Amino acid sequence: MEIFEAIRGRRSIRKFEDKDIPMQDLKKILEAGVWAPSGSNIQPWEFILVKNKGTIEKIKLISPGLFGNPSALIILCINHERAKRGGKLGVKTALMDISMAAQNMMLTAYALGIGSCPVVSFNKLALKELLDVPDHVEPVLIISVGYPKFMPKPPKRRPLKEVVHIEKFGEHFNR
Amino acid sequence: MKSLENILTDDHFKLLAFLITSARGCVDEPILYGPLRLVDAASRLIDIMEKEGKANEQILKLQELIEEKKDLVMYDEEAFVNFLDELSRELAKIIKEERK
Ligand SMILES: Cc1cc2nc3c(=O)[nH]c(=O)nc-3n(C[C@H](O)[C@H](O)[C@H](O)COP(=O)(O)O)c2cc1C
Repeated sequence: MEIFEAIRGRRSIRKFEDKDIPMQDLKKILEAGVWAPSGSNIQPWEFILVKNKGTIEKIKLISPGLFGNPSALIILCINHERAKRGGKLGVKTALMDISMAAQNMMLTAYALGIGSCPVVSFNKLALKELLDVPDHVEPVLIISVGYPKFMPKPPKRRPLKEVVHIEKFGEHFNR
Repeated sequence: MKSLENILTDDHFKLLAFLITSARGCVDEPILYGPLRLVDAASRLIDIMEKEGKANEQILKLQELIEEKKDLVMYDEEAFVNFLDELSRELAKIIKEERK
């Protein structure tokens, strides 16, 4: 699949088919995360893959923003011990690094016909408790994955003409 | 008392967990996510009412409306607020029609 097609086509999926994702596809998605760029190549991430239905149900209980019945969850965490190596900036860049990994994962999922949704609306403390996450590791994003029931219509984007500034701030494309 | 195994699948408990975690979430989330969580909770409550035989057709219609339109919060804030108005109007109709 052409990269721009994936970028344009990916949608946040909140309703999933009741169908398991093969482990090799999940591994490919995770590997896409690992290949994301990171500040100073610190790779401050830890990814927790959850496939167990019971555990997914428990996580849903403490995640108001997690919709549908995904086949698996990937929990993206910052390892603060690693992030510290990036100095003061390390904490900020860690979140950028995680975001890049997340987008890689979601685009790869899309190319494999798998839907995903990034979710920040979950209770961090409860999630740490549920999954025995150590103190220095902070879950920052859940990506739910599964085969989409349907593709939602794309939410509006701000137009290029408004978002892009040419050469200096405030100068926009004419058309 | 239900066992822990049962409690995790208990609809009341699920709603309870949703309410508590939503309360914490709302502290940091966008303002309109408060109403979103409330209507989501309302829909979950209607699920429970239905299982208990307490939801009539009109109440189920409220739920349909919620499920159809709650995502508007991500597409069009004004339309989302209009939907909340529509929901309130529909609720008022149910209350008005009910004889004391
Ligand atoms: C950092 C981040 C957090 C998000 N958190 C949630 C969430 O908690 N629940 C949810 O349903 N969607 C969540 N989303 C998905 C957005 O609502 C979605 O990306 C946006 O509406 C654009 O839609 P699209 O992804 O289909 O293009 C999140 C997206 C991002 C980037």
